Amino acid sequence: MPSTVTIEWYLALCVILFTLGAMGVLLRRNAIIIFMSVELMLNSANLLFVAFSRYLSDLNGQVLVFFVITVAAAEVAVGLALIVVIFRTKRSINIDEINLLKG
Amino acid sequence: MNTFALAPLILVFPAIGILFNGLFGRRFVEANRKSGERWSGWVATIMVFASFLVSLSLFGSEIANGYHTEIIPLFTWINIPSADFYVPWAMQIDTLSVTMMLVVTGVGTLIHVYAIGYMHGDPNYNRFFAEFNLFIFFMLILVSGNNYLVTFVGWEGVGLCSYLLISFWWDRVDEEGKAMNADAGRKAFIVNRVGDFAVIIAMTMLFWTFGTLNYEPIFAQAVEFFVEGKIVTIGSASFSIDAIVTIVTILFLLGVAGKSAQIPLYVWLPDAMAGPTPVSALIHAATMVTAGVFLIVRSNVLYELARISDVQLFGTISSPELVAYTGAFTALLAALIAFTQWDIKKVLAYSTISQLGFMVAAAGMGAYVAAMFHLVAHAFFKALLFMGSGSVIHGMEHGHHEVTHGHDGHGDFDPQDMRTMGGLRHRMKVTFAVYMVGALALAGIVPFAGFWSKDEILAHSQQHVQAIFILLVIAAFGTAFYVGRQLQLTFFGKPRSGAAEHAHESPWIMTAPLIVLAILTTIGGLMNMPFLTRTISESYEGHPEGIWLALEAWLEHSIASFEYAAEGLVNLPKTPVVISPFVAGLSTLLAIIALALGFMVYRRKPETAEDPDPLQNTPIWWFSILPLETLYMKTIVPWFHSFANWLAFPVEWNFWHDFVHDNLIRDMFVSFAGFLAFVFDAEGVDGVVNGAGKVTRKLSQAFGFMQTGYVRTYALSVFLGAVALIIYFLFIAR
Repeated sequence: MPSTVTIEWYLALCVILFTLGAMGVLLRRNAIIIFMSVELMLNSANLLFVAFSRYLSDLNGQVLVFFVITVAAAEVAVGLALIVVIFRTKRSINIDEINLLKG
Repeated sequence: MNTFALAPLILVFPAIGILFNGLFGRRFVEANRKSGERWSGWVATIMVFASFLVSLSLFGSEIANGYHTEIIPLFTWINIPSADFYVPWAMQIDTLSVTMMLVVTGVGTLIHVYAIGYMHGDPNYNRFFAEFNLFIFFMLILVSGNNYLVTFVGWEGVGLCSYLLISFWWDRVDEEGKAMNADAGRKAFIVNRVGDFAVIIAMTMLFWTFGTLNYEPIFAQAVEFFVEGKIVTIGSASFSIDAIVTIVTILFLLGVAGKSAQIPLYVWLPDAMAGPTPVSALIHAATMVTAGVFLIVRSNVLYELARISDVQLFGTISSPELVAYTGAFTALLAALIAFTQWDIKKVLAYSTISQLGFMVAAAGMGAYVAAMFHLVAHAFFKALLFMGSGSVIHGMEHGHHEVTHGHDGHGDFDPQDMRTMGGLRHRMKVTFAVYMVGALALAGIVPFAGFWSKDEILAHSQQHVQAIFILLVIAAFGTAFYVGRQLQLTFFGKPRSGAAEHAHESPWIMTAPLIVLAILTTIGGLMNMPFLTRTISESYEGHPEGIWLALEAWLEHSIASFEYAAEGLVNLPKTPVVISPFVAGLSTLLAIIALALGFMVYRRKPETAEDPDPLQNTPIWWFSILPLETLYMKTIVPWFHSFANWLAFPVEWNFWHDFVHDNLIRDMFVSFAGFLAFVFDAEGVDGVVNGAGKVTRKLSQAFGFMQTGYVRTYALSVFLGAVALIIYFLFIAR
């Protein structure tokens, strides 16, 4: 049935989610929280892909979502492993303290 | 069948000798003294003898060929087409050159043999023979050339060899530390050079006038030009052919004065006695000094044309007359100087100058055959006398060695000083005998060669130029006197020193050539016998035939003046063909009187070596101050030294070295190098390179603020970059 929830609503939602995720990446200190924000950005993009796939009746969008999810998962695995290693050394995951490249 | 093709061999043989002695001689001599000397000396001698044999064959060929001139071209030497200057190297084989070749190689061979013995023990044995052969080589070039330039090569070459051989013992110094042998050699070379300079100018004039330097074309053209009275233009000046011929012959005279030791350039010859005696015999008696006479005889056509030319010197005399007077005065002056000399070789040196004066006077008076006759006879007896004196000197040295048992080491003793000699005829019998032959020939005693040749010159002068006759007669008187003086002092009387008492005869190798020369001197007169009576002359119509005037018959084919005189183109003074009883009698009488006087004056005194010469208080002794020499030493030499000093110190050292080199060039260079090193390189180039580094560092410092190490700022910049890209692609790249 024709929905009163149009595509613009989904677009707005995704933009807000993406913005929130970007804010999180830029403003939060905890590395895990930053990862969560990155996930949020990815998922907002996924949501938008699905919405448009349904809207344009094109299944390519949904296929791409699979790719994105897979990549996100791999990236999280690697990233979390990196954080564990950093924690082992620095006993903290405050990204402000990871500043050895300062010069 | 003629052997003209063999002619170049006369030059090849001495060349082989030079190469052998120059390259290998030292090895031979140092390996084994005795056999080495034999190799070195005999190779050189055999080479000269080989040239002599070739010359003999050329002599035969000339006879067979009808006495014609044969030109043998060897190669083209100079060829400058744009200047039309073509000089071939060719040999001219005619009776005149063959005569000279025979004398040079013949007497040369004998002197080489003598030198093998004379130079025994000398450390530079092979160098001597190399230079000796070199001399023969150049002398043969001189006499065999077919043009003035080839002759000039020989002319200068013999001058060089004279220098080399006079200064053979160049490292010997006298008590004051002066290198007298080297000085003597240098003096000879430099004085010769003055003459050479004149010859070069003369050759240049000949080329500009005739377009060639070859003898035959020049002489033929000269007569032609003379007959038509041609005017020649050289550069911007015009000369009549008379003037050209006169100038050229006078310049040649200057060359002859240098080479043949005439006034004013004879001063080198007495000093040249510093060389070894074989050198004096060969170069300064028989050959090199005769090159000047040869040149005049070769250029006889030019001299005859000058004789009849319109140009007069000093208003009265022609160029050949100047030549004759120069010769006559030289003959007289040198004879008088010879009276005052103690050194046995110096007496012979002045005697050579005097006899050359006779030859030059004869040539100047047109008696070319007489000049050549005296040249050959003089070569025989003067070489004999010099080698004889060398034998005497050797004997005296041995005697001195015996007396002092080798302790003196030369010191004060001069083996050449006649005051220490005396009575040597008992000690050195062979030398005495041959020396007498030579001395009597020199004095002009019948029947030796010297009498006939000198008599011909005197007869010619008596008939044509009486003034010269008188001068030459006085000179002949003087000659006999100093000959008598020398004989008395050396061989007669009592020995005046231990050395003379203990002198002994020289070895065979030295006396054998002397004997050969003595024989030649005795029979040499037959070369050009004048008709002994008028009757005989008339039976031959006064023409040379058979035994009579053989040399004249032989030479007249090469002396073109005879032909031209027969055609009436020149006025050649004719030498009398019949012997003149007046002249012959007068000269013989005067010679005998002078000889006797010489013996008598010196019979009693000097008794000891320290006694003064009996003539020392007479005006004759003024000649011992050697006027011309002293003049040169007081004027030219100091001037030359101060000029050379001026060139050396202010000009060369102060100006050129100090100022130009050091101050101008070196300082300029150093300051420029300094500029390049310190300003350009250190500040400029380094500045650029360092500056680039500085700029980079500043830049990086300036950008350093970006490297915060702060992750969140990196994240922010990624975010901002993404935003920028999105804006770009959405709105700007439409």
